[in-house]
Amino acid sequence: MAFHKILFDAALLCGAALPALSAAPRGDAAPSNKSFTGATANLAPGDAPGQWTRQARDYANTRYSPLTQINKKNVAHLRVAWSFSDGQMYGHEGAPLVVGDTMYLVTPYPNIAYALDLSKTGAPIKWVFLPNPDPRAIGEACCDKVLRGWAYADGKLIYNLLDDHTVAVDAQTGKEVWRVLLDDVSKGPTMTQAAFVVGDKVYVGSSGGELGTNGWFQALDVKDGHTVWKAFTNGPDSGALIGPDFQPFYPWMKGKDLGVSTWPKEAWKQGASAPWGWVSYDPDLNLVYYGTSNPGPRVPSQRPGLNLWSSAVFARDASTGAAKWAYQFTPHDEWDYDGVNENVLLEIPWKGTKRKVMVHFNRNGFAYTIDRTNGEVLVAEPFGLQNWAKKIDLTTGMPIVNDAAHPIVKKKVENICPPDIGVKNWNPSAFSPRTGLLYAGVFNSCMDLTNHEVKYIPGSPYDGMEMVRKAGPGGSWGEFIAWDPVKGKRVWSVKENLYVWSGAVATGSDLIFYGTMDGWFRAVDARSGKVLWSQKLGSGITAAPMTFLGPDKRQYVAVYTGVGGGAGVLRREKGYMPGGNTLYVFSVDGAGIGLGASQLVSHAQAAAPVSVPPAAAHN
Amino acid sequence: MKRVVFILAMMTARPAFAQVTADTANPLAGNADATEAGHALFGKMNCAGCHAYDLTGGMGPDLTDANWLYGGKPGEIFHTIAEGTPRGMPAWKDKLTPDEIWQLVTYIQSKHQ
Repeated sequence: MAFHKILFDAALLCGAALPALSAAPRGDAAPSNKSFTGATANLAPGDAPGQWTRQARDYANTRYSPLTQINKKNVAHLRVAWSFSDGQMYGHEGAPLVVGDTMYLVTPYPNIAYALDLSKTGAPIKWVFLPNPDPRAIGEACCDKVLRGWAYADGKLIYNLLDDHTVAVDAQTGKEVWRVLLDDVSKGPTMTQAAFVVGDKVYVGSSGGELGTNGWFQALDVKDGHTVWKAFTNGPDSGALIGPDFQPFYPWMKGKDLGVSTWPKEAWKQGASAPWGWVSYDPDLNLVYYGTSNPGPRVPSQRPGLNLWSSAVFARDASTGAAKWAYQFTPHDEWDYDGVNENVLLEIPWKGTKRKVMVHFNRNGFAYTIDRTNGEVLVAEPFGLQNWAKKIDLTTGMPIVNDAAHPIVKKKVENICPPDIGVKNWNPSAFSPRTGLLYAGVFNSCMDLTNHEVKYIPGSPYDGMEMVRKAGPGGSWGEFIAWDPVKGKRVWSVKENLYVWSGAVATGSDLIFYGTMDGWFRAVDARSGKVLWSQKLGSGITAAPMTFLGPDKRQYVAVYTGVGGGAGVLRREKGYMPGGNTLYVFSVDGAGIGLGASQLVSHAQAAAPVSVPPAAAHN
Repeated sequence: MKRVVFILAMMTARPAFAQVTADTANPLAGNADATEAGHALFGKMNCAGCHAYDLTGGMGPDLTDANWLYGGKPGEIFHTIAEGTPRGMPAWKDKLTPDEIWQLVTYIQSKHQ
């Protein structure tokens, strides 16, 4: 029996067999240029094709690269061109940026920045910047001591430090330009979010959903870091920048000071709702979109009410911060489902018209397609294993909660799906305008949950969830899926042993890259899900891959290894790898700037050119 | 005999914060009531939020394995709880009495195989 199961799993892993969910034509038989859905995206700001200057490449958060040098014909020949280890052992989550001839990397705590010179053989270090954040932050960060990304703007590398600073570094010299303190780490908040830049503003949010924090999101001036606007998630409308422009689609989110009145007295002050995830921007509407975390404490019996604006998404005026609309995915979140995952901004055909939408894979297991002009939910369908809700009622926008899923204090409630970490976590999906599909790593698991009452002690967890997480039906913890955001259906999936907690990148040659927690980096066919190439790496992958053209005009694909972050919940599972910190950069045949003479030989050559008889040397 | 030793231990004045050294013995070692009281404190003071309800760690280190970052002798564990660490473990000497900290030490030791 066990042997047959292994064979079956192996077949799935190799892409030799696909689950019955597969609805699309397979492999070469698939139409080569036809979109499955008609969905498109505005790829502003329209960087040069070979550059990757922000975490998701564009404002819409597609992670789509138009590059085609690496394609289905040669992808099997990808080899390591060079690698770079940064020495830090916490989980690695961000994607490298490539601006001009320089690659920028930032490590998890202690948040060391590196600039690598891609114009030279071996991509040597151009500069190193050590910000020396306060080590007390180590004890306050809930889910490893991570950083999800960094930003480039106005000649500066800008990123968050775990100890609640945002710092800007001169991209040429590596010297600090400014550093601003945004919260008090001793009380619990940290910063792990990927700073996001549009024009003259950098958007940053706080972390600390499990620490009884008071979550906030703010716009800083790129020039000097001063706060242009700041919006608390909860509390009075004045602090949340909720005013006359605020028009949520559903009536239950309309009213005065709901960020106070949907909580027990004063409870919003420790209500967390920290915006630690991704930010998107629509240049036509001038709106920024971001989600908020779970409410604090995680034990729902201590906070009766909707707990607005936790586990929600906000649309705000990018210039002023004024809230335009909001939508709470999981009202009175009882399971720590959050709302911080990426919002991918698309245009979809919808009942004979085009709609401007955002697509959001929520931890709660539903993938939402929402009109991003007004917050109307058009589609909300399960994209993986969940049983906490019967469905999302599209007339009210509210979930119909399954009675058996309510947690109980001091009593174990078995088999709630998904567990706290969700059907998908912050690991960002990719969208291809060529296929019209989204691509995401997802989780297949449930929990037995026992809740404990907790009291607020500043600087300590305000939590109370005791969980045993277990793999869902089928025995595999994860898979990688293609999703139709118009129909709300899976198109294909690839089963994986553990949670697929890496980001994804889509290319103009219909390749999708993603990594696994057991150390495999894969390229799959965007149309069929067929695995075209897999390379085993030195640690598990929980970071986002990216692709770029080097100064040598060659296409490279890069991904950080270094399993960690929230993925550490599986650290005792078979196949979970030790931590690491190596960036791997791939090219066809490993050719390019990572190969060639060492510096010493180069110097020798410069001094006295070496002449080797070309044929005789080998005979 | 065990009971006599226990009563003697209880009668002995507990060392206050300043007197506890790395080599100070746990005055409540093996005491079942202290273990239970420590268990309750472990939940009440949010220790479980970092170290997990089964003490195997999460946000903070595993307290059941052989690896003690700041020393595994009873007096060292007492000191870590009382003073905190530079890496974010809060100091609890203002919120807990020496007795309560020894109760926590006793509970942690009971889970340490």
